[in-house]
Amino acid sequence: MMEQSGFVDVEIGPPVDTFGGAGGEKNARAFAVSGYAFKARKPG
Amino acid sequence: MSEAPVLVENSPVDAAALREEVKAKYREVAVEPDGDFHFHTGRPLADRLGYDRAVVDPLPDAAVESFAGVGNPFSFGSLGAGETVVDIGSGAGFDSFIAAQQVGPTGRVIGIDMTEEMLDKSRATAKAMDFDHVEFREGLLEAMPVKDGSVDVVISNGVINLCADKALVFSEIMRILRPGGRIQFADIANGNPVPEAATRNIDLWTA
Repeated sequence: MMEQSGFVDVEIGPPVDTFGGAGGEKNARAFAVSGYAFKARKPG
Repeated sequence: MSEAPVLVENSPVDAAALREEVKAKYREVAVEPDGDFHFHTGRPLADRLGYDRAVVDPLPDAAVESFAGVGNPFSFGSLGAGETVVDIGSGAGFDSFIAAQQVGPTGRVIGIDMTEEMLDKSRATAKAMDFDHVEFREGLLEAMPVKDGSVDVVISNGVINLCADKALVFSEIMRILRPGGRIQFADIANGNPVPEAATRNIDLWTA
């Protein structure tokens, strides 16, 4: 999606267990949801 | 990582209805930060996400207690002195205040949020911290109150996933960034596909 929007040099960091131990953990595990850091640049 | 994570694509949910649900949820987080939420909050969450305690510990409780991010946008590196930063979905200002320290007094941080209680809280904290180079504006990520090409860095934390039209949000980010500007953000992504019926259920977006 980011590249479709025109961003370049997209980087993705390692997954973080954002919801572990929280009420949302069950849904997060069901869909393999994790937190990620992203970085990208606008050309120019 | 064997496969790239997938940001949830645009959804058929009603954007205005979703926005009201999100406002209601984050109004609670602003006013009752120790409430029972499906996500972690505050200093324990900052620890969990790998924020530097030397940066977080000196921040006042009002700046941290309503933090509800999902990752660390600064994990790719610190922002530069003098940079102009926009924090989209700034909440109570946690990441904005960290950014403000990194860019210093020659830089500028603009937080954008749609929830009145979060804006009240972040503005009060900025004033208490004497941060003259930080301001918070009311607005939507789909129509940011920021001039074209005026921003060096856009940061965000756990907010873009709450927007129904993510392509529009990324288009807005592209509009406000200067050529060569960058985005550093954190958000959730799923490794397993989410059934379409679930993506239509607004309650699941914020519950």
